[in-house]
Amino acid sequence: MELKLYKPYLVKFQSLIALLILCLLISILSDKFLTMSNGWNVMRQISVNITISVGMTLIVLTAGIDLSVGSVLALCGAITAGLLKNGIPLPSADLFVGFTLLGAIVIGLLLGFSLGGFNGWVITKFKVPPFVATLAMLTIARGLTFLYTEGFPISGMGEKFAYLGTGWLFGIPVPVWISAIVVAIAGVITNKTRLGRYIYAIGGNESASRLSGINVNKVKIVVYSIAGGLAATGGILVTSRLDSAQPNAGVSYELDSIAAVVIGGTSLAGGKGSVLGTVLGAIIIGVLNNGLVLLNVSPFWQQVVKGAVILLAVIIDKSNSKND
Amino acid sequence: MKRIINILFLLVLIVITGGCKNQSTENTPKKVAVIVSTLNNPWFVVLAETAAAKTRALGYETKIFDSQNNTALEADHFENAITSGYNAILFNSTDADGSIVNVMKAKEAGVPVFCMDREVNSTKAATSQILSDSYSGCIAIGKYFVQSLKKKGNYVELLGLVGDNNTWARSKGFHSVVDNYPGLKMVAQQSADFDRNKAMEVLESILQAHPDIDAVFCGNDAMAMGAYQALAAAGKANRVKVFGFDGADDALQAIKEGKVMATGMQYPKIMAETAALYAQKYFNGKRDFPQKVPVAVEMVTGENVRNYITKN
Repeated sequence: MELKLYKPYLVKFQSLIALLILCLLISILSDKFLTMSNGWNVMRQISVNITISVGMTLIVLTAGIDLSVGSVLALCGAITAGLLKNGIPLPSADLFVGFTLLGAIVIGLLLGFSLGGFNGWVITKFKVPPFVATLAMLTIARGLTFLYTEGFPISGMGEKFAYLGTGWLFGIPVPVWISAIVVAIAGVITNKTRLGRYIYAIGGNESASRLSGINVNKVKIVVYSIAGGLAATGGILVTSRLDSAQPNAGVSYELDSIAAVVIGGTSLAGGKGSVLGTVLGAIIIGVLNNGLVLLNVSPFWQQVVKGAVILLAVIIDKSNSKND
Repeated sequence: MKRIINILFLLVLIVITGGCKNQSTENTPKKVAVIVSTLNNPWFVVLAETAAAKTRALGYETKIFDSQNNTALEADHFENAITSGYNAILFNSTDADGSIVNVMKAKEAGVPVFCMDREVNSTKAATSQILSDSYSGCIAIGKYFVQSLKKKGNYVELLGLVGDNNTWARSKGFHSVVDNYPGLKMVAQQSADFDRNKAMEVLESILQAHPDIDAVFCGNDAMAMGAYQALAAAGKANRVKVFGFDGADDALQAIKEGKVMATGMQYPKIMAETAALYAQKYFNGKRDFPQKVPVAVEMVTGENVRNYITKN
């Protein structure tokens, strides 16, 4: 009887409860887990995944998916680093175009937006399933990254650039600020704006949305562009953190991102879920990664445990939605 | 009727491809395929491009095939190379055991295979194997490790991809020395997938559990650079000694600046050029090649790093 009374709250806060249980377990097993410095470590490490996963959440809410985020991240990071380090040489005119920090970052972000927009355009214009269109982009963007970097890392962009990934502001790491701002903006968009309501409506029932006058294609292109721009933001953060653009940066990031979205309770069928849930999902993955290393669990077992957690999260989610 | 046309079409196709295969045996320049495990890593890019450049310089046609760390894709490359009439294969395997079948396929088709850097676990498959001696290289690093730590201290090992032979060859070489000293204690052993970012994040977490370590041994230089960044951010870079492997440019620079203690210098260019020269000798009629040609890994430390930076 009493349990029934609490049930709605249990369901609503299930990700949070899972996170608390996880933290409790790890802190019992390791006394190093619940320290300030470890907390900042985890937050800094997951800020890239949160940034990407916010974009992924918007896409999944429209019942789409984006597999290209890891490659887009690598390409935009590499281009930003390359522009900062080498500029664009124009041998024919014997000219050399240099870039300021802001300029290089803006171009990197714009590239991310355009690649995402291209995904959206292909998906809406040619009716290509998102899985296929973004799978193609995954390969294309990775290939372009190798072409641009010639397979070698681009390193040494300087301290100013490294500040974005490694610096602190008002006692909080800069990447955490950036991801928090991204989350706040996305939260407002999904909850308070017309675009947000359209996103949920399209995921709930696309043809009904179309019939009721929503420009479905436009909304989708906007959503994929945002995701591309956020992947670029992630790329700039990773590059700045290492002070080095690695050609194979972001490999399999799409999987971590989808995992965060799913663990956070967003339905892959679209129309149901929230940005805040995804943030919790990303924190759960980050805490799990951190905890398994703190406890020195064998690398083989770590993968098994992570998979099991994802499975468990989805099963709990399914059984709850049945009872609604 | 339609089915008959289809079958006829298939027959025509078989005849045509069969015909092409026979054509390329005489008069045309010899063709050499370079099949490498991955182009996702600068080290392998150097290996593949040197092999291709050397074969081209010797007057042969050449093409690079990227197996993307996928043994199944590698099998496709072998089949394509054999059917499209390549006369030799310079090969860097994805898997020591899984790649044997592929090499055997080439052998049966009369195409010699010369392995570069990575071994296949069979002495009867490849014509010759020119290998980087990772195991011995890491024995040398292990000895230097013991000496630098004065036989006492806590250390962390960062492994590469756990499914990769090189990961374990390096780890085993290192431990064959270091495990003999009870004063040296490994407090954590974790994988960072040969990746700089992953190494930084993993070591950040490890430092929370073990803030008092004395050294980090990394399975490659990218991880050593990531480990150094984690240590620098935690203000421990001066106290903790970092060891890498590969001889990558940025690691050599870091050794020069005293950030990294040592690395094992591998010679991808020598291996690739030797393999190309062997292919030439094979075309000229030579058949008795040594099965294994070890190419030594040289240890680079702060004392001799100057010789390596000026060399390139």
